Amino acid sequence: MRRHRNVLLCIVAVAVSVVFLFPLYWIFASSLKSDGEVFRNPPTLVPHRVVLDGYVGQLTGAYSVLRSAGNSFLIACSAMGISFLLAVPAAYGISRFRLPGGRILILVFLVTQMLPASLGLTPLFLTFSRLKLLNTYIAPILSITTITIPFTLLVLRPLFLACPASLEESARIDGCGRFAAFLRVVLPVVKPGLVTVCCFGFVHGWNDLVYSLTFNTDNALFPMTTAIYNLMNEYGVRWNWIMAYGCMLVVPPLALFLAAQKHVISGLVGGAVKG
Amino acid sequence: MHGTQRENRPVRRGLGQTGQERLAGFLFIAPALLYMLALIGYPIVYNFLLGFQDVSAFNLAAGEARPFVGLANYRTVLADETMGPALRNTFFYTVCCLAFQFTLGLLFALLFHQKFSLAQPLRGLLVVSWMMPVTVTALLFKYMLSPDSGIINIILMGLGVIKQPVGWLVDRSTALYGPIMANTWIGVPFNMLLLTTGLTSIPEEVYESASLEGAGPFQKFLRITLPLLRPAILAVLVLGFVYTFKVFDLIFVMTGGGPVNATEVLATFAYKLSFRFYYFGQGAAVANILFVVLFCVALVYLRLIRTEEAA
Repeated sequence: MRRHRNVLLCIVAVAVSVVFLFPLYWIFASSLKSDGEVFRNPPTLVPHRVVLDGYVGQLTGAYSVLRSAGNSFLIACSAMGISFLLAVPAAYGISRFRLPGGRILILVFLVTQMLPASLGLTPLFLTFSRLKLLNTYIAPILSITTITIPFTLLVLRPLFLACPASLEESARIDGCGRFAAFLRVVLPVVKPGLVTVCCFGFVHGWNDLVYSLTFNTDNALFPMTTAIYNLMNEYGVRWNWIMAYGCMLVVPPLALFLAAQKHVISGLVGGAVKG
Repeated sequence: MHGTQRENRPVRRGLGQTGQERLAGFLFIAPALLYMLALIGYPIVYNFLLGFQDVSAFNLAAGEARPFVGLANYRTVLADETMGPALRNTFFYTVCCLAFQFTLGLLFALLFHQKFSLAQPLRGLLVVSWMMPVTVTALLFKYMLSPDSGIINIILMGLGVIKQPVGWLVDRSTALYGPIMANTWIGVPFNMLLLTTGLTSIPEEVYESASLEGAGPFQKFLRITLPLLRPAILAVLVLGFVYTFKVFDLIFVMTGGGPVNATEVLATFAYKLSFRFYYFGQGAAVANILFVVLFCVALVYLRLIRTEEAA
């Protein structure tokens, strides 16, 4: 009876997952089709002939994916680094010390995380323009951190709260300074949380479209998202090429997510709901 | 875990006492705080002021002063023929997405909450749709919805739901359903995860005693699961509203707001005003309207978590 139930539930769950994740298969299958096959109506479910044109054609040539991928990496890693350096100590400070206005600060960060990108877009554009920061990597990087910093803070705060203060006390008795105790004793304890926020920082930076699109007009600075948005019109209905680009764009965040899945899921849930 | 958490409360209070400790705490927070003030606080204030100023590429280029024009920007954008559709579309899109995401998310959560061997790995796998770059999801759905070789039309015709291919994104009457479908796909895992957390917090015993009293599965769902899930449901709906209402990337890539405003939303409208027509003041005004709606919802949310915490 119990066994039957298990098998039945497994079958249902697999069926549901297959249907739900079909789009993911579709992007991959379409990316391997030839120009002729991708236009076939009705479309073929499995590519009759696997063709790597969509990939090879974009690795080299005028619209090289490689350059954009480099930009994406640079933007994603910088956004991750900045938000890590600023938000991790802040999360610790906000959870360990009773500061005047501390509670309000947490609420402010909670609201900040909900703000639409559109709100900052116009003022940031005008400010960056005055500071001559348009058409630099700095403009999108700084803008992305406005979302990753509050998120990092909200995910880590409960972890720091749950970390026993007696740990630092004993480290300080052993002669550690406040900051050294934080670095050597507290940070290792919240390592899973640090993995989560790094993943999120990177993925968020990698996935950003609108900041690079708005602040930069120089193709050489485009990350992959902005590049494919612009190529979309160029390629028209050459869907196999667009899907190949999409596949390459999806791989880094997906690999990162699957590698750190457990931490990321619990972190995302914690950060999204309560902070 | 229980022991340490209780232990650390009084210690914390002790730490905050001296001025030196307070300074240390401030030093930990100060860099992030100053950074956020510059990059979020300042732009919000700036945007608020821009809404009352006449700022466009033309007077910026000429280096002229930016005259304050009172509510003129708001009057102009509210009278704009795009404003009506943008408001309607934003609300329609949000409500539809929430309804679909929530229903599917709840069904998924109930399914994967059952104990079976593949529950954990499969649930993890589903979250992939939430982590994908929205740009890619948008392009993918644009392809799947294309009228000639789009797979969705083929499937729906195969199932007998439609007789002939639907134009989806090219047809004004169906265009908004494209982004709704894509966003539902993105949002289901989010709903599922939050609702699963809620389900896990319902103690087994409650169900057991209900079984003893002869309650069927449907009754248990209505009388136990739904009421006890209330906090999680509220959180999911409010957060979902906030994340859905500010939609930009998805619509910008899929339809660009067209055909003829059929998918225009507040965020894309604000973007167009600022960066296609360079009426920065008007763009700021629309962004502020978007912000006010979100802010009200965020306030409701904060009130909710406060009452939950107090209870």
